[in-house]
Amino acid sequence: MAYALQQLINGISLGMIYGLIAVGYTMVYGIIGMINFAHGDIFMVGAFVALVAILMLMSGDLMHGPAAILLVLVISMGFTALYGWTVERIAYRPLRGSFRLAPLISAIGMSIVLQNFVQVSQGARVKPLEPQLVGGIELMRDGNFVVQLSYMQILIIVSTLTVLTVFTWLVTRTALGRAMRACEQDRKMASLIGINTDRTISLAFVIGAALAAVAGTLYLLRYGIADFFMGFIVGVKAFTAAVLGGIGSLPGAVLGGLLIGLIETFWSAYFSVQYKDVAAFGILVLALVFLPTGLLGRQEVEKV
Amino acid sequence: MTAPAAVPALGITARLRAALVDASKATVVAFGLFFIMVGLRTDVSPTGALFLRTRWLDVALLCAAVFVSRLALALWLGRRKPEVGPAWQAAALSRAGLLFGPALLALALILPFVPGIGRYELDLGILVLTYVMLGWGLNIVVGLAGLLDLGYVAFYAVGAYAYALLAQYFGLSFWICLPLAGILAAFWGVLLGFPVLRLRGDYLAIVTLAFGEIIRIVLLNWVELTGGPNGISGIPRPTFFGLPFSMSGGPQTFAGFFGLEPSPSHRVIFLYYLILALALLTNWVAIRIRRQPIGRAWEALREDEIACRALGINITNTKLTAFALGAMFAGFAGAFFATRQAFISPESFTFIESAIILAIVVLGGLGSQIGIAVAAIVMIGGFELFRDLDEYRMLVFGAAMVVIMVLRPRGLVGSRAPSVLLGEQRRIDARFVGEGRG
Amino acid sequence: MNASRQHQPGAEILRVDGISMRFGGLLAVDAVDFQVQRGSITALIGPNGAGKTTVFNCITGFYRPTGGQISLRRSDGSIASLHRLKDHRIARAGVARTFQNIRLFAGMTVLENLLIAQHVKLQKATGFGIGAMLGFPGYRAAEAEAIDRAVEWLRAINLLDRADDAAGGLPYGAQRRLEIARAMCTMPALLCLDEPAAGLNPRESDDLAKLLVSIRDGTATRSAATSILLIEHDMGIVMRISDHVVVLDHGRKIAEGTPEQIRSDRHVIAAYLGEDEDAA
Repeated sequence: MAYALQQLINGISLGMIYGLIAVGYTMVYGIIGMINFAHGDIFMVGAFVALVAILMLMSGDLMHGPAAILLVLVISMGFTALYGWTVERIAYRPLRGSFRLAPLISAIGMSIVLQNFVQVSQGARVKPLEPQLVGGIELMRDGNFVVQLSYMQILIIVSTLTVLTVFTWLVTRTALGRAMRACEQDRKMASLIGINTDRTISLAFVIGAALAAVAGTLYLLRYGIADFFMGFIVGVKAFTAAVLGGIGSLPGAVLGGLLIGLIETFWSAYFSVQYKDVAAFGILVLALVFLPTGLLGRQEVEKV
Repeated sequence: MTAPAAVPALGITARLRAALVDASKATVVAFGLFFIMVGLRTDVSPTGALFLRTRWLDVALLCAAVFVSRLALALWLGRRKPEVGPAWQAAALSRAGLLFGPALLALALILPFVPGIGRYELDLGILVLTYVMLGWGLNIVVGLAGLLDLGYVAFYAVGAYAYALLAQYFGLSFWICLPLAGILAAFWGVLLGFPVLRLRGDYLAIVTLAFGEIIRIVLLNWVELTGGPNGISGIPRPTFFGLPFSMSGGPQTFAGFFGLEPSPSHRVIFLYYLILALALLTNWVAIRIRRQPIGRAWEALREDEIACRALGINITNTKLTAFALGAMFAGFAGAFFATRQAFISPESFTFIESAIILAIVVLGGLGSQIGIAVAAIVMIGGFELFRDLDEYRMLVFGAAMVVIMVLRPRGLVGSRAPSVLLGEQRRIDARFVGEGRG
Repeated sequence: MNASRQHQPGAEILRVDGISMRFGGLLAVDAVDFQVQRGSITALIGPNGAGKTTVFNCITGFYRPTGGQISLRRSDGSIASLHRLKDHRIARAGVARTFQNIRLFAGMTVLENLLIAQHVKLQKATGFGIGAMLGFPGYRAAEAEAIDRAVEWLRAINLLDRADDAAGGLPYGAQRRLEIARAMCTMPALLCLDEPAAGLNPRESDDLAKLLVSIRDGTATRSAATSILLIEHDMGIVMRISDHVVVLDHGRKIAEGTPEQIRSDRHVIAAYLGEDEDAA
């Protein structure tokens, strides 16, 4: 029981990271209907920017307390958002309205570019970072087993909820959010009523990248490693989360992220660590076969 | 006459100013991009701790490069006249293609005997032909049937492991294993095709990707059967219909039987012709089948699935045959890969391989056999050409994918050749051709 | 002429018995029944949202009705229960259809469109694909025959000179005709048309009316006479060519009969003019 509770906590904190990335996938998919294949690598860039920022603060002996972590988050969000914007500007905008597979290939190309750019500029070695936030709150004790909610997990949960609250407010309450939802419904109509669709799409990429940067920073702090290839598998799982939740649905992305996080954690804890990714993908396949539009997705009615 | 002369002069300054502003903006963005990721490099010290190394010069150089190239691009684009219609281009290309295809085939046939072609060039030829074959195989699924498959490499892996395991455990020869590998891969194609029949578009893409990864992870972790990350080594090399390529020169070897001087290049030449024959088989089947009812049904499926149903076409069977046939050719290629390398491991079957094969198909132009061959030569050959770039090679490769797509979203050959004609030869403009939603 | 196609027991080709279709809480079609007589043109009319297309989709298998039966009586007297069949089986049983928003294979040629319509027959001639791959004569003969049939239909719809052009490049009216020819190439017993005159100019509508009559009478090509069920908003065409008219409103059948009877039916007038029935 205690063990399961601990796994639940671990699963939720991992799932929140997936959820943050999944929101970026689902938002871009909702608006322009493409899989932003480079989004996982944007997450990786976010982790690297955070790593550099942390090292900078450490060299000035400033890496203490919540303010430092907040600063790292802000730096990472800012610079990673720029990457998100640039990727859209270079690889996707020229292909707007063209053949569906072209942006997909372009996105795969961009993913290769980002991975190898980071490999060249930051080196291929895995970067180990010593834990920045240790300790936690003891929730219960069962014999020798201690259920702990670590400060790191509190950080993940608190920052994810904060970021998502701001994001939800942005999408549901502001003019930008309305413009985004309008583009999602009908891009041509949106531009006819005077919405700058190019800018709205750019902003979707910027926001998505900023969320991925938060995820990257939290992932780095939680697991203490960063390498240029980390974006692929995390990205695929986050996309899985977005699809599972119903692509295009923002609450669905978070829900899907939590589910994938929980499935992965429980599978690793009770079955086998090696096959944890198989479990995540297996669930995806099953979910799609039985629920082709995901958990919270819109039913796609084929008009004949 | 002075006025018209003055206008362009004014235009030039205005354009230059606009270009300078544009280039400056790009440079500011570039600085933002490179400032942290290039300017501050994280290094691991011998003690295992991380430290930062600054490289401001590199940042300055990169920003200068961005400024200059953006300026040049802006000036060049500002000057460019509206180009001649793509229809004209496509027509010229297809006319050239009529001669180009046979010429390419002739070159491929005599390549091993062209002076100056050594072992290295032949090995490269084998690699390129493997990708040509994979591209043609995937084209059946993506280009004809319009089913977006991001896990094609899984079938390549099935073929390779099928041969390796059958040879290892049952001692079967390459020539028995080759069809078995194809059949097994086709079987897996159907097996994986079944659950995804109802899925469309990007859902199909992501599920096929997931299947590809699942197969790779299973290969990686099922150590008792597959050797896990260490792979399988000592896979038997192919024989010339029973005659091994051996340096001993005995009567039961290839060289001895034909009374030739034993040479290691015999096997390479044999492998080259083997993959050429397999690729041509793929091509022949693909071209023939396009003119068959099933091939036309695939293309119709790509154009409009609902209309197909209304015409009595069984969608399930049509999709599954496309998956199975595409997978079968990947299985053949996989068996060839295993016998050529004599060693396989899950590392050869990562997602990036699927992405490269798909990129070849899309860059070549969906459905175009010759376009795919050219794309494979350009991508794989070009990749080899940039060997000296070392770690920058993949960077250039990815950038090339983006650039080609931006310049030619429909690939090299976007137009479609009708499968049957009443009148004279002609092609269908790319703008009419569907891309499939499956 | 028209009277002879009126209700003759046992002469119906399609029987729709009390079909209902429910989408969630909405009852789109409520226990509708009607028949299509062999060799007739039957029109299904009604205001927007009356459930015409839903009935149509039930007959052609795109929806499975929540209740009721649909049976097709083939010329040999055998009966196919359409409400139990999958859509591609329905097409094979002898029901062909067109779509309200044209669904041609846009990137394929006009001729290819007509050959795909003969897929089922051609596929049988290939011998599991192997015979055709190797170029066996049996398949070649079958394909030549299929092309002959396609050419006949192209002549009938006046598109022979555009046989090798992309279907997506044809003018709108030609696309409508091609879609009808494609449906006819499946050699159906019953042809179902969903608003075939939508978007046509008066001259094209006129040609369409002639084409439909010639399909019913079997004079368009050498193929047999074919019964037609159509949904249409253009009352001019409906009244001119239909032998029998069925009127739906709010998912129920409110009237049926000859065009003359329908024209003077007060329920129909009320439904179309939106009048209150008590007032009328």
